[in-house]
Amino acid sequence: MIGVLKSMAVTMKHALDGRTFTVEYPDEAPEVSPRFRGIHKFSQERCIWCRQCENVCPNDTIQIVMDDQRNGEAYDLHVGQCIYCRLCEEVCPVDAIILTQQFEFTGATKNDLVYNKEQLKNVPWYNDIDPLEVREPDRSVWIGEGEGEVDYQ
Amino acid sequence: MGGGVAAVVFPDLIDEWTGLSEFGLGGEFVAAFIAAFVIGNLMMIMTALAGPWAKRKITAAFTDRIAVNRVGPYGLLIIPADAVRLLSKELIVPDGVDRPAWDLGPLIVASSALLGFAFIPFGSGVHLADPETGLIWVFAIASIASVGLVMCGYASNNKYSLLGGLRAVAQNVAYEIPLILTGISVVIFVGSLQMSEIVAAQSQELISIAGVSIPMWFAILNPFAFVLFLAANFAEIGRNPFDTPEAPTEIIAGYQTEYSSVYFVLIYLGEFLHIFLGAAIIATIFLGGPAGPVLPGIVWFLIKLWAVFLLTQWIRSAMPRFRIDQVLVFGWKLLLVGAFLNLILTAVIVGVIT
Amino acid sequence: MSVTEPLTDTETGELDYDAIFEILGDHIIDRESHVHTEAAVVRPDEVQSTLRILREDAGFDHLSCVVSQEYRDRFESVYYLKTYDDPTQEFGVVVPTSRDEPKSQTATGVYETAGWHEREAYDLVGIEYEGHPDLRRILLPESWMGHPLGLDYDQDRPQIVEYREHENPLEGHVEEGETMFINIGPHHPATHGVLHLRVVLDGEQVADLDPDLGYLHRCEEQCCQSGTYRHQIMPYPDRWDYASAGILNEWAYARTAENLADLDVPEYAQILRTMSAELCRICSHMLALGTFCLDIYGDFTAIFMYAMRDRERVQNILEELTGQRMMFNYFRLGGVVWDIPEPRQEFFDLVWDFLDELPAAIDEYHDLITTNEVFQTRTVNTGILEPDVAKQYGCTGPVARASGIDYDLRRDDPYGYYEELDWEVITEDGCDNYSRLLVRMQEVEESAKIIEQCIELLEEWPEDEREIQSNVPRTLKPDPDTETYRAVEGAKGELGIYIRSDGTDKPARFKIRSPCYHNLSVLPEIAEGEYVADMIASLGSLDIILGEVDR
Repeated sequence: MIGVLKSMAVTMKHALDGRTFTVEYPDEAPEVSPRFRGIHKFSQERCIWCRQCENVCPNDTIQIVMDDQRNGEAYDLHVGQCIYCRLCEEVCPVDAIILTQQFEFTGATKNDLVYNKEQLKNVPWYNDIDPLEVREPDRSVWIGEGEGEVDYQ
Repeated sequence: MGGGVAAVVFPDLIDEWTGLSEFGLGGEFVAAFIAAFVIGNLMMIMTALAGPWAKRKITAAFTDRIAVNRVGPYGLLIIPADAVRLLSKELIVPDGVDRPAWDLGPLIVASSALLGFAFIPFGSGVHLADPETGLIWVFAIASIASVGLVMCGYASNNKYSLLGGLRAVAQNVAYEIPLILTGISVVIFVGSLQMSEIVAAQSQELISIAGVSIPMWFAILNPFAFVLFLAANFAEIGRNPFDTPEAPTEIIAGYQTEYSSVYFVLIYLGEFLHIFLGAAIIATIFLGGPAGPVLPGIVWFLIKLWAVFLLTQWIRSAMPRFRIDQVLVFGWKLLLVGAFLNLILTAVIVGVIT
Repeated sequence: MSVTEPLTDTETGELDYDAIFEILGDHIIDRESHVHTEAAVVRPDEVQSTLRILREDAGFDHLSCVVSQEYRDRFESVYYLKTYDDPTQEFGVVVPTSRDEPKSQTATGVYETAGWHEREAYDLVGIEYEGHPDLRRILLPESWMGHPLGLDYDQDRPQIVEYREHENPLEGHVEEGETMFINIGPHHPATHGVLHLRVVLDGEQVADLDPDLGYLHRCEEQCCQSGTYRHQIMPYPDRWDYASAGILNEWAYARTAENLADLDVPEYAQILRTMSAELCRICSHMLALGTFCLDIYGDFTAIFMYAMRDRERVQNILEELTGQRMMFNYFRLGGVVWDIPEPRQEFFDLVWDFLDELPAAIDEYHDLITTNEVFQTRTVNTGILEPDVAKQYGCTGPVARASGIDYDLRRDDPYGYYEELDWEVITEDGCDNYSRLLVRMQEVEESAKIIEQCIELLEEWPEDEREIQSNVPRTLKPDPDTETYRAVEGAKGELGIYIRSDGTDKPARFKIRSPCYHNLSVLPEIAEGEYVADMIASLGSLDIILGEVDR
């Protein structure tokens, strides 16, 4: 019986202290970490069309089309299929694709979530956080060469 | 005392105020109808509007959440919105349900509880009927709900519903007896089954400490009976820790699994009404009914109702659910014995005093 | 215990493989060497006798993993054995069968856990196990055609299910007798995901129970088989046990791949790994505690929300560190991807705040849950799992430790930085639902101790030695036909990965040994004869995540 009363005392304490931990979401924009991985932003000016992001993507989310002069024609990214692993940002040598903090996006159909390069360019910053300024990517760590000689083929 | 005190009930009051009594039997009927309408609506407002809203707010407070606050001031309008939403939903009639039992079940659950309020003295003259057998009437009518639950459970053509219905019956049968036996111990004190008599008996002064007069509420006079009655009542209305008939994590929603739209509203309403009816019985026979200082009787009565409601929610926040066999063991082996002990003790004490 | 003694080398304490091969005698047709252990190749009709010798005379009481795979010239089942006393003592039994007639003797008589493993092997690879009591498909639907991990499987072939297989199985079905058949799940408030339990009830009691899995089967093994070792596999482990235990899962892959490719991890990264993994463990145990109480209390009661609130705090810490709340993708082969975020002190303060307030929170849980008499009547002595049964079914993690089995890979088969830290393995002897809850609650405290020590180390660490990743080649191509099986202590138990390489940059066979899968397989043993309410409670206490069960 004492145990029961003790548990009732605990819940009453919580009821009376008036503290809540839920957030009124759309009214209150939640804080997100600078490292948070949200929807992508793409810069056509920076991109050198090296296709590394397309290669490293684990589930073929990025589709790149180029003409025979290696000029980019299309850069499609299926933000609904993406698993937000951030490998494309890590592999990109010129910061052409970065993952913003933006997580608010919708689409009526799956097809609406296939973003082309214009849509990717227009993705807004979340709370004006520019990931490039707040993150400190350490690419030298990421692109290791391993032990032994490097063969330049 | 022997009952028969000419208590003024609510229809008579309306008679007086409106002058309907001049129209003979027809006038009395209209007056009674108006009275029932008033009380029915009062309870509807409390159970259908305030109840779910308060439940959400109270539960949220216990669980550190914010809860409804968007629609209307303090989120109050979410309840009409929810009601419209529920009523506008499709009423799904599953294949092979046993109609009309399936349709009648929710009606019986809701109406049985509403009918029970006819005999409850709300104070300030709001008391629909005051027969000499008032207490028995209330218990009898409240128990009709069990029939409704069985109908829901059995007619739904669903195994979860069946289990829920069976659990509801087993539990109600097990707790009906201790409930009434404990109620009877109050009757022994009062010497009458009439509700107004029971309330009147509690208005006497029990003891006066330093000028503060403590009334002879039976909860103070016999706390043991009060606790027994509370436990039996919670089991009867299927509140935690005795919510085994619904047990969402085991049998989904028990007897109400297959109900949607209006029928769901009725069952939901019926549950709230039963909580409040249980609270009303507790308030009447243990907490002095509408008695209380300063404020008018009916306000005190409603405060007591909400206090019991709050208690159900508080217990819900902290108490695990018993298993069905534990519920039955608790009912038959502990509560029943306790109720009998209490009855004998009361009888002995009352016998010695008089 | 005593039987294992003669097999270990008295000087080094290591397993004496020659002695084992000697005991097995004629059963062996060949020897194989895997990266982590030696293995014996036996004939497909001598599986049971071989395993029985290993179990009874060599003391291998833990069938850790069964891997099945198809080669160009044969099918193969590999049984990896361990001992519960010392999981570093490992041994493998390789059973090749011909491609024309892939039939192999079952191991179910010797290890009960082989039952589900072999069903999975039959389902996905197509090996038939003779003598198996119940060789049905387990992950894929009954009507599935072909075996998707087989080499000849045509992925483009449509799965045509004929009308008769779609017929209502209950059409014209009349139940006779005293029992009632009831489907609990796949959509039910208490199955923690999409689990389907076929239950036969005798009144309120469970007479028979048969879990039906696979509703969340997402071909995780095949996903990993089509990703490159270096980068593409790592995001997927987060999605096995997705209830915030992601980093622990990543570690399972990291450990196996690092073992396979012989990679080193810098000490500083090991500390980061250990700390983040233990944060995940707290997350996962908090969720387990909340949902278990949900099953017992019903409705979204206070405890669930309080547990979520504390889990939320850990997730905030993890978000600061890894960038994500659940799908972390924090580990990389040879280290981790991020150092502590700058300013470091802010992050440490966040963790310290959490650690400082944790003891009070734990006390509150004890007041709220474990000392509550009604809770005790519901959980004490219900859902009994005897240690012998637990070992037979390969149970690990908190489930095994609540049955008194002192088995924790963090201590027994050390990895990461655990060896250097001061913490304890929690065991309880109650074997019931209550003990399983207690073990989880105490493990949260132990994890907090580990995190505390890690944070202290990280705070002191000299700035120029903060190496978070070793130098790893951009493309990993392990030698062909190297096989390894490595396990870590996940939130739910021994989470192991088997990888066989074929010389390319992608694994040829990737097999996940899921602790939830084994813990769930013991549910019929626990629940039969109990009340349906206790069956639900036991299911909650096993703490399964269907994403990891079905993979």
